[in-house]
Formats: sequence, structure tokens, C-alpha cells
Amino acid sequence: MASSLFQTLNISRQDIISHLLDLDVTSSNLANVNTAGYKTTRSNFQEMLNEQMKEGTLLRSTQAITTQGTIRTSTNSLDWAIQGEGYFSVTLPDGTIGYTRDGQFALDADLNLVNASGYPLVWDGTIEEGMTNISVSSTGVVTATDAEGVTAEVGTVQLTRFPNPGGLTDNGNNILLESDISGVAQTGDPGSENFGTLSGYHVENSNIDLAQEMTHLITLQRALSMSLRAFQQTDTMIAEAINLRKA
Amino acid sequence: MIKGLYSAVSAMVMNATRQQAISHNIANIQTPGFKQVLTTVQGFMQDQPVYTSGNLQSTIIEYVGNLGLGSQIGQEYVDYGQGAMQKTDNPLDLAFQGNGFFTVQTPDGNRYTRDGRFLRDAENNLVTVDGYQVLDDAGQPIQLPDGEISVAYDGAITVNGEAVATLGIGVFADPAAELQHTEGNLFTGPAASTGDEVPQVVQGVLESSNANPSQLMTQLVEVGRSYEAAQKLVQNQDELLGKTIASLGRIG
Repeated sequence: MASSLFQTLNISRQDIISHLLDLDVTSSNLANVNTAGYKTTRSNFQEMLNEQMKEGTLLRSTQAITTQGTIRTSTNSLDWAIQGEGYFSVTLPDGTIGYTRDGQFALDADLNLVNASGYPLVWDGTIEEGMTNISVSSTGVVTATDAEGVTAEVGTVQLTRFPNPGGLTDNGNNILLESDISGVAQTGDPGSENFGTLSGYHVENSNIDLAQEMTHLITLQRALSMSLRAFQQTDTMIAEAINLRKA
Repeated sequence: MIKGLYSAVSAMVMNATRQQAISHNIANIQTPGFKQVLTTVQGFMQDQPVYTSGNLQSTIIEYVGNLGLGSQIGQEYVDYGQGAMQKTDNPLDLAFQGNGFFTVQTPDGNRYTRDGRFLRDAENNLVTVDGYQVLDDAGQPIQLPDGEISVAYDGAITVNGEAVATLGIGVFADPAAELQHTEGNLFTGPAASTGDEVPQVVQGVLESSNANPSQLMTQLVEVGRSYEAAQKLVQNQDELLGKTIASLGRIG
């Protein structure tokens, strides 16, 4: 089977582009090592072979790896970590519902529970003026102490899960959106079957393993320089073919 | 002399094909389950030059051995050697320890693959990164109920502790002879296993590409220099031919 050197040049070109995209993905992972609830993203390369025609590689998809992050304690009763499956729902400024694993909430001036970006948490309950010591139970029951010092239940928080959470669309700001790939959202009480539990005074770390990301960065860089070598050599070979006839 | 010219050019063509295979292997050094493509080189046709004496009346014809007319690319084959194991901790990343293939369903029929990057799709099917359904031991697509997935060494899938399905595993006594590399990372082969080995399925692990960087770089240098040498040879032949035309038969 005859093969064109220009086709070979294209294999390396495609390969270099894929690796540069993977570099973006890896950089984003490294930048979010300390982002609460963040999930690492993986680049899925796939071989391209068409009717025995070798076409190199293609960055087929990127995939969020939704394994549990480690949990750290905090001093804020409104830091809620999810242990297990599920997402908190927040209302975005345009009214759509976004999903996040980052459970670091705060009370805004209007007594709404909001996340770091100011998006209100979707939950069933209200906080009254003067309430303190707002906390959540493992099953999502929110309690607070009012001005008279009486502690009572003020509402409940539910979690949302998806068949394929790795397929949620990243909306930036640690917010994910439902997509065709993720499947339909299912809502349930924390601690019920297939839903994780909540714990106050806790924050879920990102699941990014710094050592693994750095190792990936090294292999990525080496793979990239190999592709560049192959590209340069193919180019040299083309030049040699052009210069076959000595002047 | 013309024969020599074509011999040298055949080496250039052969090396261009090898360069393509090497570039393809380099491009897939980060593709899990990838099996490198190896090329072979063989001699092109042989000619049998004869010696005849200058005497036109002479009937003596002597064969003076064989003359190779260059090289050509031989059979291409896939190296089915095991790649290195890489731990990912993702419950739907599976790998084989030993000789075995996952069975997947594509629009063109069933295929075998060593690439165990599986996902649960929006309809709870177990699929590959390309969206092809993974088949069980009865040749049926696998539907996963909600819950935590675990996969045993024999390919048995349980969700929340309840048995769901067993992965369809193809084992081939001689993959190089029985399988054919078709689409990316997929192979066609016999409908049923022909081997009796029992491979182990490992969960949370991916099998890396079995292309070896140092081997690839060595091959790259080899091909580059070989191509260059062939090109020089073409130029030499051309030069000689030019001299022959210009000076042979010139008198005085």
C-alpha cells in the first residue's frame, strides 16, 4: 500500500493538536487543586484507523472523573460536604438550575443560603432574622437557633444525582449543568438509597491528585516532543524527495 | 544502471510507509488498550543477470547469480503484547491481566477491544468512550441499575452487591492470526473464543498503549537515515548515468 508523506505529516499534526488540548485540560486540573468539590477531567484519546488507513489519534472526549474527594473539617457550620453521590442545586442568575459539589454556603443580606458566587441554594425552608447556628444533619435536615435560644428544624436540603455525572456540562465557577449525556436528574433525600450523606463543618477537597497530574504533564510533554520529532523528520524526508535531482 | 535507480527509489517508498506506521504508533502512545502496528521489509523481485561474451557468434550464456531489485514493505502485523497497567481508581475503567478482549457492539457488527474505558450513558447502558455498547457473556448489551458498580476478576458485574451481568470476554489462542485490526482500537475475529486461558479483569485500572517510546525513537532514526541513504544512492545513480551519456562513446 502506497503512502503519502503528506498524509504522515497530517498524522503528526493531528497528534500535536490533540496533545495541546490535553495540555489545556491538565492545566485546568492543576489550577483547581484547591477548588472545593472540583472533579478532575481526563482527555480520552482514540486511535483513528479508516479502512486500514492509519490516521493517528483524535481527542475523542473529555470526561470528568467523579470519584469522591477527601473531606476536611472547617470552622463554618455552613460548610456542607457530600459523602457519596449527589449534587447541591443552585439557581443561576438566568433562572436555570446548576449543580455543584462545593457546599461552602453563606447567608446573604436577604437571608438566603448562597454559594461563593452568590447563587441561592435550592432547598425547602427559610431562615428568619436573628437565627444563628444553622446546621445540617446527615440526612439533610437543617436546624437553626432563633433569637430566644430555641433550636428547631427550619427546612430540608435534597440532593440530585445523574446516571452519568461525568457527562455534565461544565458551566465554569464550579457549576455543572444537566446535558443529554449526563441523563435526567433524579432528586432524593441525603442518605437514601444511592444518595450520599451530608456533614456540616466539612468541605470536600477536589479529587485531583497532584502527583498524578504532574506525572501526566511529564508524559504529555514527552509525547508531544516525540510527535514534533516525527513531524520534523517527515518534513526532512519530503525535502529530500524534492531535492532528488541534484542541481 | 536503470535497475539500480529503481532499487534505490523502492527503498525510499518503503521507508515512507514505515514512517507512517511509526508516526501512527507515536500518535497513539497515550491511547489506552492500543496495540502497536509493526511493519516488515522484504526484498522486491530478483533478476538473474547473464554474461555473454562480446563475440556475436558465441552462444555462451552464463548466469552470474541473483540481483535484487530493491525492497518493498512486507506484511503488517499488530503486536498484541500486554501494555503497562495504569491505576486510575475510576470504577468504570477496566483492564485485562492476560490474554483477553472485551466484546462491544458497533453499527458494523461485534468487535473486540482491550480498551476498557467504559462509561454509564444517559440510559444506564455500559458503553465505551466511542459510545458502543459493551456486551455480556450472552452477547446482550449491559444495563446497569443505579448504584455502586464493582467488577470481579472473572468479569462479573455487581451493582450495590447484586449480580447484574458478566462481561463477554473473548480469548484467542493466536490473536495475531485470528484477529484483524479494523477501526480504531477495535478488532474483528471469530464469533466465539478459541483459547482456554482465563484472563483476569482488573477494576480501576487501564492498560496503557504497548508502543514503546525508546523503540519508536530508534525506529524513527533508522527510517530517517535509511531514507537519506536511499536518496543519496538515487543521486549517485543519476550522476553515473549522466556521465555515461556524456562521455561513453566519445572518441578522442
